[in-house]
Amino acid sequence: MASSLGPLAILRTALCGGGPDMLNQSVTEWAPWTLVFLAIAGTYLWRGVGTAIAARIDPESEFLQWVACVAYAALAGLIARILILPVGILEQTELVDRLGATAIGFVLFFIFRRHVGIGTLSAASVFMALVWARGEGII
Amino acid sequence: MHYLYWDLQSWVYWASMFERLIEGVSISESPHLTPEIDSSSMFRLGMIEGFSLPAFMVAASMIGYGALVQSAGLSLSLAIVSTVGIWGLPGQVAFIEYMLLGAPVLSMLIAVSMANMRFLPMSLSLIPMFRGSESGWRLRYFWVQLMSVNTWVGLLRKVPELTPDQRGPYYAGFATICLICGIAGTTTGYILADTLPFYVTVTMVFINPIYFAFVFAAMRARAGMMALIAGAITGPPLYLLSPEWSLPICGVIAGSIGYFADRIMRRGA
Repeated sequence: MASSLGPLAILRTALCGGGPDMLNQSVTEWAPWTLVFLAIAGTYLWRGVGTAIAARIDPESEFLQWVACVAYAALAGLIARILILPVGILEQTELVDRLGATAIGFVLFFIFRRHVGIGTLSAASVFMALVWARGEGII
Repeated sequence: MHYLYWDLQSWVYWASMFERLIEGVSISESPHLTPEIDSSSMFRLGMIEGFSLPAFMVAASMIGYGALVQSAGLSLSLAIVSTVGIWGLPGQVAFIEYMLLGAPVLSMLIAVSMANMRFLPMSLSLIPMFRGSESGWRLRYFWVQLMSVNTWVGLLRKVPELTPDQRGPYYAGFATICLICGIAGTTTGYILADTLPFYVTVTMVFINPIYFAFVFAAMRARAGMMALIAGAITGPPLYLLSPEWSLPICGVIAGSIGYFADRIMRRGA
């Protein structure tokens, strides 16, 4: 992994001072509290940087639009991945249930002129009904 | 109802709204109210207006998050601290999922950070709203921590009605009620995950991604929409190639596709 990602390997060496390859260790070897605060810092990074340059940058710049596109794409990729290839408790449900509920939610979402609440609640209800029915052996 | 209608153009629009607002602000400032009374009533107004669909959506999604943390075998206090501290659901979900994967620490950090990268453009558009107010501007590095999709939309919708000095207290009240609902939801989800039947628990976890899917589907800007579609298509296959690094790679590739496709279409039009 490290050899295929040159810049990241350099970053890693810089962060660890060339010592033991700590950041390449699995999260299971670290204390959860340390990881939470690292995650908080990693999120605040964007907030802080945005605040620092808020006074100076042109909000209509092309670079910022690209940054926003990257953010949206990463989020869409994450959501699609969770729905199609979940990790954890969702893994125990059927792919067809997850996608079927999502599809029905989207149909109602568009019928009700892009209503986020109706889309979310209908998809969740259909999903719950499907999982319940499977548990009861109905389908 | 498009209370969550946010897109690439909206923050550009609001930033230009601010330029116009700053002119009228000194004229419309009310001399009748003392700053104390004004601040507390604005804080209360923010709380009242926040306690509607946004706060309930926060609570519902955080119920799912609490259940997810419980299913990962982590503690309730850690669930609450991560909700308040990260305060961005996609990053929180990425955090728990990478904990479950047992991925390298650096890749977990990058994934969480990338999943919440939208905070950069969001803070760029939100923070200028506090510029006309001395106290509001001084607290900008604190306000930005309270920012979520809901509090961001909540303040931007209200900005034309408020003077710069009123925005801080209003925003604080709005964010406070969202945080309270977020903590309550996290705790509820965490506790109920153990006692409720499987089909309920798993649905609460399902609410997380599905809520965001609809929030983004409500978006209308072409560049963002194409980036979302490209991301949704490339995300799962990239995950199969590299579970740990798929998110940042997917963001850069699919985001660039959306951005450049929009640029080409703009030129063609």
